[in-house]
Amino acid sequence: MAKITLLISIIMLTCIPNANSQVTPWQVSAEDAGKINSIPIELKNLGIGRNIFTRTCVACHGAKADGKGLIQSASLIDETFQKQSDGSIFFKINAGRDKMPPFKGMLKEDEIWSVINYLRVMVNRSALPPAKDVKLEVSTGDEIKSITAFVHSADSAKLPFPEVDVSFYIKREFGLMRIGESSNLTGADGKVKVVFPEKIIGDQEGNVTILAKVENSFIYNDAESEVFRKWGEQMVTEDEKFNQRALWGSRDKSPVWLLLLANGIIVGIWGVILYIIYNLFRIKKAGKIFIKE
Amino acid sequence: MTDLHRKEIEIKKEQFQELVAELHSPLNRTGLSFKIWIGFLLLLMATAAFMYVRQLRYGLGTTDMRDIASWGLYIADFVFLIAVSLVGSLITAILKLSNIKWATPLTRISEIIAVAALFSALLIIVVDMGRPDRLWHIFVYGRLQSPIVWDILVVNTYLVISLLLLYIPLIPDIALLRKTMGHKPKWQQKMYKILSLGWQGTADQVKVLNLSLKALMVVIIPVALSIHTVTSWLFASTLRPGWDSTIFGPYFVAGAFMVGAATVIVTMYIIREAYHFKEYITDEHFNLMGKLLVLTSLVYLYFNLNEFMVPAYKMKSGESAHILGLLVGDYSLMFWSVQVIGMIAPIFLMAFKPFRKPKPMLVISVLIVIAAFLKRFLIVTPTLLHPFLPIQNYPESYHHYNPTFSEMMITVGSIAGIALVISIFTRLFPIIPVSETAHEKGFPNEIINNS
Repeated sequence: MAKITLLISIIMLTCIPNANSQVTPWQVSAEDAGKINSIPIELKNLGIGRNIFTRTCVACHGAKADGKGLIQSASLIDETFQKQSDGSIFFKINAGRDKMPPFKGMLKEDEIWSVINYLRVMVNRSALPPAKDVKLEVSTGDEIKSITAFVHSADSAKLPFPEVDVSFYIKREFGLMRIGESSNLTGADGKVKVVFPEKIIGDQEGNVTILAKVENSFIYNDAESEVFRKWGEQMVTEDEKFNQRALWGSRDKSPVWLLLLANGIIVGIWGVILYIIYNLFRIKKAGKIFIKE
Repeated sequence: MTDLHRKEIEIKKEQFQELVAELHSPLNRTGLSFKIWIGFLLLLMATAAFMYVRQLRYGLGTTDMRDIASWGLYIADFVFLIAVSLVGSLITAILKLSNIKWATPLTRISEIIAVAALFSALLIIVVDMGRPDRLWHIFVYGRLQSPIVWDILVVNTYLVISLLLLYIPLIPDIALLRKTMGHKPKWQQKMYKILSLGWQGTADQVKVLNLSLKALMVVIIPVALSIHTVTSWLFASTLRPGWDSTIFGPYFVAGAFMVGAATVIVTMYIIREAYHFKEYITDEHFNLMGKLLVLTSLVYLYFNLNEFMVPAYKMKSGESAHILGLLVGDYSLMFWSVQVIGMIAPIFLMAFKPFRKPKPMLVISVLIVIAAFLKRFLIVTPTLLHPFLPIQNYPESYHHYNPTFSEMMITVGSIAGIALVISIFTRLFPIIPVSETAHEKGFPNEIINNS
């Protein structure tokens, strides 16, 4: 009897949040739940998982994955979440539900597994070895516009580090634009090269700032380096447009037709009003003359 | 001059004095019920004032307006009040210029409604501001390209014209008041003296007065049309589902004439009952106002058909959420009540003469006025809740708009203010034009000016 009561209360408790949110719950089949994570928890893969997490999950689930992003969402670090099997979580990320978009097609299967690994490590970070310091050097190709990042140890020995994921960016007016592949791993010589894309607009002279970063890695601490090249197209600002008289213009840039029309109406109507107010004085004056007589 | 002629003049004089005494009777009333009524209105306004002070202190958070529905009850009230104020031009100017004589006893009623509603509208727009202390910015930094600036210009212009149109026909009546209200307090007599402008009814004065009146009646029509057209442009010039319409101007103006006529019917019924003016505001007036209301309602029905039929037929993807929300969704109950009870049923009923008697007309008009208010709400709010860009990353409460108690009380206060202005006006000035009525009854000028 006690067991049945316990069972019923557990069922009811699990039903309450669902009843409130009025969203059909995820139906994870035993087969899906039992799927085995094909990606081992390795430092390299965790970096990939972290990159994906920052790009696609942080907005809603928050940087700490506690569900406090821009909207209130499920916490990914509490026990109810963490006690699920990898297969179960994989299914949910894949299928989506309500405000959680389905990531099937957006992320590769390996990437989803990497994110799950990352979430597992998040609640147990201290298990990882401390990260190493690195230095990043950036050089550019001369004939074709390409950027090469060289990742090496921070000391004078400059030991090259292979298999480090380097992110490349171009600085824009508000933020950074990513270039290269989603993951750019250094080779055995510690170097990785990306091609500068075409038709990038720079400043008025065509200058652009290119950034290379080691970030979100578990093995290495963050490092960055930048170069300044005249590789972009010149930015052409059409100042004449701003100085035109137009509907979108500032107060002193009203279109002439609008000024004429509006002020014409104002003068016309208020002319009549002033004439009538003047007439009131005429009436008053006429009354005074009558009294004198 | 023969004895007979003299006697005739004597009789006419007596008749005229009787007429004046009757039309001035509200000014001499001293009843408790009026004081209770004024007290009640002041109580409502005091509540509104309290709520407004609270709003000033704690900000617009005391309302339910948030990022998405940033316009709510206040703006609906503003549009409603502007609509009501349009009736001044309809009854006073349009009917008068068309030489329609029966509307004379209703001119002052409609004009005072217009003035009171405009004052209220100007106040409610300030209430809607989060930072009313920055109101002066619109005059210093306002751009002529912005419809908001046009609105400010045109509302104030219309207010001045309406005040003049109320005041100028009142001048001869105030001159009469100077003669008959000798027993009133000093300030009141002084006010009459100043406002009468030394009116003697001389040929010169009459000529200037009539000329001014005619000019006013002509100029008020375009201004009245533009005030509500510009109000509609505040919406129509914004790219929003339901507002993105080319017929918003005439749609608003037609609706305004309809609700204005209904407001006049309600007010004239109350005044007729309160002051026993059955002889001046007759059953025939209700009959004719009923016909006028049917006409304005039919025009409005036609615009409604255009306004909802065409977008509903196309069901453009961006607009469909809004239209379906009105027709079958969240707002469908309110929408169909407004359309059926506040427009279609009245048109049908008022087509029959028994329903154009005073009492049924009162009931119908009250329903029309309430529906008209809700209609303004339906124009403002559901649109904002269905923007073209999907609503993302907002708290759940931002997805709905339900006016708070504070907003409702302030809105009620704005309506109470109108009732207060009209009520006090009837105790200071004759609500039915005296000299115009006398002229229409055939009393000669000498009697009107010299008795």
